[in-house]
Amino acid sequence: MTTIAIANAAADPVEKLLTFGPKNLWYAVCPSGFVGEKPVSLRRFGRKLALWRDASGQVHALEDHCPHRGGPLSQGVALGDRIACPYHGVEVRCDGTVTKVPGSPGCKLEGSRPALAFHVKEAHGAIFAFNADKNIDEPPAFTLPEELSSPEFSSFLCYSEWKCDWRYAMDNVMDPMHGTFLHKQSHSMAEGDSTAAFRIRDTETGFVFEKTGQRGVNFDWTEWGVTGTAWMRLEIPYPKTGGPGGNFAIVGCVTPINERMSAIFFWRCRKVDGWMRDTWRFLYRNRLEARHWAVLEQDRVMLEAMEPDANQREHLYQHDIGLVRLRRFLKTMATEQAQAAAG
Amino acid sequence: MDTDRYLQPQQARQRPPTIFEDLLGDAIERAFAAGNHTLPELVAHLNREGLPAGNGQPWTEDSFSALMARLGREGDAA
Ligand code: FES
Ligand SMILES: [Fe+2]
Repeated sequence: MTTIAIANAAADPVEKLLTFGPKNLWYAVCPSGFVGEKPVSLRRFGRKLALWRDASGQVHALEDHCPHRGGPLSQGVALGDRIACPYHGVEVRCDGTVTKVPGSPGCKLEGSRPALAFHVKEAHGAIFAFNADKNIDEPPAFTLPEELSSPEFSSFLCYSEWKCDWRYAMDNVMDPMHGTFLHKQSHSMAEGDSTAAFRIRDTETGFVFEKTGQRGVNFDWTEWGVTGTAWMRLEIPYPKTGGPGGNFAIVGCVTPINERMSAIFFWRCRKVDGWMRDTWRFLYRNRLEARHWAVLEQDRVMLEAMEPDANQREHLYQHDIGLVRLRRFLKTMATEQAQAAAG
Repeated sequence: MDTDRYLQPQQARQRPPTIFEDLLGDAIERAFAAGNHTLPELVAHLNREGLPAGNGQPWTEDSFSALMARLGREGDAA
């Protein structure tokens, strides 16, 4: 199978992988509600994807690039598991196979598999796509932390798009100390020391970056994990007005859209049951969502005002070792992938 | 606000809240702030504050739970 190149990519293959996201991982691409039976086009990890649902509700994704001459498949007509390009009517199946060339029946394009197809799964209110450079039959499974996968938790997805490199958004989550400063005027992060010593603890799927001697007071730790998909999680205590049920947790995924835009997925989760679960869900819709949003906007405004080369001109100190570890993790992943691709 | 990207503050609810829901939210937060974290304490607090249940009657644990079940699950995927 030939590898299908990304346009406009950085020249260095490792840098390219870091800019658009490592391959062979599941990435959240959009909330479930973004995709219906009429195809939509979304740019993610440096490519344009055409996504649509068949009559059973199953989502399909092809690169939004017709194998004939590059027409936008998303502007065509969905025919169940196939899509017909609006330019010359070529029909492409969701696995990348051309099933029909109306202008030249029987030509050798028919029956070949030249289009790039993405495996798709819907989970936790979002659509995930497996980011590979070639068509593969069965992608590996992915899992997300128990805050999403366990029925003991209740969650809401908050989706946002930020005008910044996706790595800035991840560095931000791997930087718990900013909660004490940037979010001091917030409903949940006014407590705790403004100085702290941090340490890194390895886990089976990544690592935890945490304050020593302070937990459950402010934004005190972040975990990074790769389980078929890359995620981060953290906990922040609710004030007393948040009622019973303890801390709320965030599971976060960031997906690069292009060099200067990121798709941000934050699931806000809480371990609640019965009337507490219902009451939390009522309060979340009625008022907490707006407060959480205001906090997230503080992050967005900060990151969007940072220059694209800000991360080339830094003086890091002890509370930055979490993001240093994260960058090293991604760099190792990208280097291994680039070496594998070079054969 | 910029419109060149998705920035939607309200993603979890399907409709604006009613005045009654806003008052109820206020009352629930005040009850929690006062340390009423069990269902009987919360219901007693609402009745002390005098915000009547939707039917004009005092709150009971059942009526509060039933209303929360309806409002808390509204718009959730089946
Ligand atoms: S470009 Fe799609 S059919 Fe020609
Ligand atoms: Fe933040």
